[in-house]
Amino acid sequence: MKKTWLIAPLLFALVAAACTGDDGDGGDGGDGGGPVEIVLWHGYGSAQGEPDAEWQSLLDRVDEFNASRSDIRVLPIRCCTNDKALEKLTVALQGDEAPDVTYQYGSSIPQLAAAPSVVDLTEWSQDPDVDWPDFIPGAAAAATYEGRILGVPALIDNLAIVYNKELFDAAGVDHPSPDWTWDDFRAAAAELTDPATQTFGFAFPADASEDTVWHYDPMLWQAGGSILSEDGTQAAFDSEAGVRALEVLRAMAVDDGSMYLDLQNAKIDDLFNTGKTAMVITGPWALSAYPDVDYGVEVLPGFDGDHQTIAGPDMWVVFDNGEERAQAALEFVTWFTAPEQIRTDSLATGHLPLRISVIEEPGFTDELEGSFPGVGVFAENLANVKQARPVIATYPQISVAMGEAIVAALLGEKTSQQALADAAEEVNGILALPA
Amino acid sequence: MERVRRALTSDHAIGWVFVAPSVLLVAIFGLYPILSGLWLSFQKASLLSPVREFAGLENYRAIMDDPRLKQAAINTIYYTVLFVPISILGALAIAIALNRRIRFIRFYRLAVFIPVVTSTIATGIMFLWLLDSTYGLANWALGGIGLGPFGFFERPSQAMPSLVAMTIWGWLGFDTIIYLAALQGIPQELSEAAAIDGAGRWSTFRNVTWPLVGPATLLLVVWSTLSALQLFDEVFFVTKGGPLGRTSVVVFYVYRLAFEQGLAIPLAGYAAAIAYVLFLVVLALALVQFWMGNRMVHYSS
Amino acid sequence: MSATATADQLERVDPAALRGEVGMVERRRRRWLPFSPWHLFLLPLAVVMLVPMLWMLVASLETLDQTRHFPPILWPGTLRFENYPNALRAADMGTWFWNTFVVTATVVLSNLVLCSLAAYAFARMRFLGSKAVYFLLLATLMVPLQVVLIPTFLIVKSLGLIDHLGALIVPNLANVFGIFMLTQFFKTLPVELEEAARIDGASRLGILVKIVIPLSAPALATLAVIQFMWTWNDFLWPLVTIINNEGAYTLQLGLAQFQGAHQTDTSLLMAANVMSMLPMLVLFLLAQRYFVRGIATQGLKG
Repeated sequence: MKKTWLIAPLLFALVAAACTGDDGDGGDGGDGGGPVEIVLWHGYGSAQGEPDAEWQSLLDRVDEFNASRSDIRVLPIRCCTNDKALEKLTVALQGDEAPDVTYQYGSSIPQLAAAPSVVDLTEWSQDPDVDWPDFIPGAAAAATYEGRILGVPALIDNLAIVYNKELFDAAGVDHPSPDWTWDDFRAAAAELTDPATQTFGFAFPADASEDTVWHYDPMLWQAGGSILSEDGTQAAFDSEAGVRALEVLRAMAVDDGSMYLDLQNAKIDDLFNTGKTAMVITGPWALSAYPDVDYGVEVLPGFDGDHQTIAGPDMWVVFDNGEERAQAALEFVTWFTAPEQIRTDSLATGHLPLRISVIEEPGFTDELEGSFPGVGVFAENLANVKQARPVIATYPQISVAMGEAIVAALLGEKTSQQALADAAEEVNGILALPA
Repeated sequence: MERVRRALTSDHAIGWVFVAPSVLLVAIFGLYPILSGLWLSFQKASLLSPVREFAGLENYRAIMDDPRLKQAAINTIYYTVLFVPISILGALAIAIALNRRIRFIRFYRLAVFIPVVTSTIATGIMFLWLLDSTYGLANWALGGIGLGPFGFFERPSQAMPSLVAMTIWGWLGFDTIIYLAALQGIPQELSEAAAIDGAGRWSTFRNVTWPLVGPATLLLVVWSTLSALQLFDEVFFVTKGGPLGRTSVVVFYVYRLAFEQGLAIPLAGYAAAIAYVLFLVVLALALVQFWMGNRMVHYSS
Repeated sequence: MSATATADQLERVDPAALRGEVGMVERRRRRWLPFSPWHLFLLPLAVVMLVPMLWMLVASLETLDQTRHFPPILWPGTLRFENYPNALRAADMGTWFWNTFVVTATVVLSNLVLCSLAAYAFARMRFLGSKAVYFLLLATLMVPLQVVLIPTFLIVKSLGLIDHLGALIVPNLANVFGIFMLTQFFKTLPVELEEAARIDGASRLGILVKIVIPLSAPALATLAVIQFMWTWNDFLWPLVTIINNEGAYTLQLGLAQFQGAHQTDTSLLMAANVMSMLPMLVLFLLAQRYFVRGIATQGLKG
């Protein structure tokens, strides 16, 4: 009696389960006559239950493409959050369930190079329709691994100072200027720190992840240093330049007490928005997280007049799921990343334009600044992107070593010298291993 | 014919029939993948590439030379040693308290259970705030009675105890409801008899309650140890292994190797090897616990 | 200590002892608080347990801008209940709930049935290879999911279940933890009842269904609640097996949508999380009915 009572719903549920999900199989492609269906994975999110501006912009462009082509249909799928994108892709690739186009962090390019079905875009990039040299050099460089182009720039940003004008005025400190030095920065941070109100001059992501490292890299470069040696076989960040750069940060954290260390990298934006920190160094994506602050944006402080910054490009990566689909995917990507579409997306979302031609369009940066206050400075700051991080297979391990070195110094556990030296030793060991 | 009928209805046959569906499912979805993973541990591989290079015991030998792995192993043991006893004893105490018919008892039981179903992310956000060294409630409260300020998740030496506190908070409810269920099974006449004999509260506990929840205790000791040694979510979502790797635990390290660092460089096999060494440790521990448990635990006569 | 009691002894015992408050028999008349002292322990405990949930509730009633504060705002001034209907409106919340419900109900029911069968066999029956099989089953709990993720995925794919709810159901129909837990519980039941029934000629299945199961209500209720929680909250496995079919998304997969590429819609996310927790809490409260003492002694009278 009891058992039959249980079995009926069990059977019902099994049947329901088998029936659900029969619709929407992921693109089998054109079976003689129908349009070729390609799958696009992205990680954009929603706002108040509706797709947010980034997602909506993507959908609008995809709709436009689908409407204009009867032979290709693009199916945009919100696959995951971006931090899970690589993992999900890895599993999917193992089971031949990969999408045709996917959004990935630029740092994933060396990892994805190992996947056999990733499409080599080198030949495609030479097509005049693509106009590859028009892409921001920093982004194009990040898409290239061992001479092969494996991605198309999907997003570019850079780091600059975002500061709270009210806190500056209240403390009587001059706003950051384009020729600020790191000493100026440090002095201002110290003056803006007020233990009584628990306010800090500066907040720094100290979770020893790549976020920590890429905040340090421009300082290293400005001081004349580099991450690896010319031939890429030795660490070079433990040079005098490297120590000089790290010292600024360490002194602020340990000696001045003007730096809030966010060891889980979860609080910085909220702290800034609450007025608990006067300055952050971040990118254009964060601006919408500061609705309560009258903020200003300024280029990074510099060493010896060098104000170069760093860019963190994300990529569209194409996978080969058969000749028909791969071809369709390439056609889509060509259209999708054409100057016209880049321009439209940029103005709709505040994304920095990925093409030089768009940035140099007269009035463009002003229009962008008008819609998205602060973004204009970031767009102009793209001209300060001079170098990129090494695009090599061992980079994740190098990042871990450097990240821990920086945090060790910031926590006061090691001197800048010692921290960088230890990390360099570890990195040299990593680089020495046979590929 | 009679022989066949007796064979078919013997405990051997029926026993197998009863366990067959479960065993079949577990064999397909549990055992086979484990064997597959074991095979992977003998190879150099990347999860993104079909290229596989047989490497014999090389991965296992490499385990000895890995300082970050050593750190992760020590952290994992440290975590387990703190987590298991505190959470089990705490849960028993709470279950006894919850095993009453006083007013609001349903509310109390619900309250104790809620942390178990609260998402790891929400829990993490809350604890990161509570234990923030500058703005957190904990330091504010402790400062009021003259203690601290503590660094909690922000100082390498305090991060692990803080993680222990956070996970105990999140899992106490789980252990508690198992103990609660076990307490229901204590025959009333035992408690009554003790009362008649004039036994005090503590004596009843030692002589009646504790032995009779023995099976549940064994279950929880084995399960908590298993879970503690395989801790992952809270580290991945909240502490990210920091600061300076002091909350990095073995499974977190394995994940990083397999899905982050070991894609371009073939480290997935190495990651699998580490996981299987962990497996052996867990298995050995479980066997010891069972052996000791079966000698000490009183099942009904 | 005598372990048996006659009927008259039962009647003569103080009801306070029956409630388990052994030792309080004498103290009961001399209470110096108007309520049971247990409240002094349980109330602070409940507060400690509820604090993060409180934050979730508060955040779910704030505007997105208000959630962008650290330290968090705990007193938002106005309560924004619209977050709840807004979260429900989000794409396919209804589909997600339904999918999750189907998967969870099936898995829970299946586990109750299959784990009971297996646990009874392990607890009470001696059969060839039982010890070895038991340990093999337990061994599967000792390898972390991340390691077996891909092989398991490949098996599920070979069964053609990818992008279907079946991928979420079939591998979880029998959970080893359930077997482990019920085995331990069944072993604590007095074996006399079952032996009496065997002598009377009852089949093993009959004993399981008519004697053991009714006596195991608390354990089964607990297993149901636990399995429900695990399946309802499962994120990683649905993430990798439901790939392109958004119609098969579960709640946890869908909720991840509120975490955008750069920003998280915290207020909506918390509203959605609160709603997602409700079924589990309702089930828990319902399961409370089975935590009734005294069932174990029913068979022993007379």
